[in-house]
Amino acid sequence: MMNPKFLLALGAVFLVAACGEKPQTVAVKPGQSAAKPDDKPYQNDQFKGDRAAWERTLRARADNQNEYKRVN
Amino acid sequence: MARMKFICDAERCIECNGCVTACKNEHDVPWGVNRRRVVTLNDGIVGAERSISVACMHCSDAPCKAVCPVNCFYTTDDGVVLHDKDLCIGCGYCFYACPFGAPQFPQAGAFGLRGKMDKCTFCAGGPEKDTSKAETEKYGRNRLAEGKLPACAEMCSTKALLAGDGDVLSDIYRERVMRRGRGGDLWGHATAYGVKASAAPAPVQPAPTQQKS
Repeated sequence: MMNPKFLLALGAVFLVAACGEKPQTVAVKPGQSAAKPDDKPYQNDQFKGDRAAWERTLRARADNQNEYKRVN
Repeated sequence: MARMKFICDAERCIECNGCVTACKNEHDVPWGVNRRRVVTLNDGIVGAERSISVACMHCSDAPCKAVCPVNCFYTTDDGVVLHDKDLCIGCGYCFYACPFGAPQFPQAGAFGLRGKMDKCTFCAGGPEKDTSKAETEKYGRNRLAEGKLPACAEMCSTKALLAGDGDVLSDIYRERVMRRGRGGDLWGHATAYGVKASAAPAPVQPAPTQQKS
């Protein structure tokens, strides 16, 4: 004969088994991304949300790819 | 506003695969996945053989984004096309749609089971907290948030591969073409970023048909 408390606990486990499941349906809307929102690349300690400073840094690096400017 | 683009100058590429190696190393890309590849055009034809470095071109009107059944793609304010790996179901539609063969699929198990899609991120990470461990593990290093350009372009020894704001790249490329006097064609540029209305051929007007009365 099994312990009734054990049976009760076992039943409770089966009853709450699905409680930890996350919904897996994706609400797809045409033309709209379902991806999580992404941080802006300038929202960090280095650029402190200053988009212009970030753009200046990248522009300087991109300009540096021009060896005519670097050599002459 | 910056509009990030890649340009590969076929006149300069020496097929060294430095860009491929730089990308692999920077993002710890798994075996079998190549975010960037070097392709040879007109192979064996003397004088016409060229090499180009190909990866996701971050198209203006990205076909991968259009065909994704779970809409996991998004375009950042800077024109970088990224995707959410938590949503990707590995269906492979994006691979069939992409004209550059950019989407890559790691083998996730037996019988050729595909894992979540992986592609070039323009070194901009993905939809996780910037420079976090989760972002690095899923998408690779976020160099853009560090104020740096993609590793492949910065590593290119001949500067055949250029990355950055489209306006800056146009200036660099224009100067090159003016100086050498040839090689103005950019492979894949029109496919990825479209053709200017002035350069596009005029649409053919259908001849007026006479209706029978």
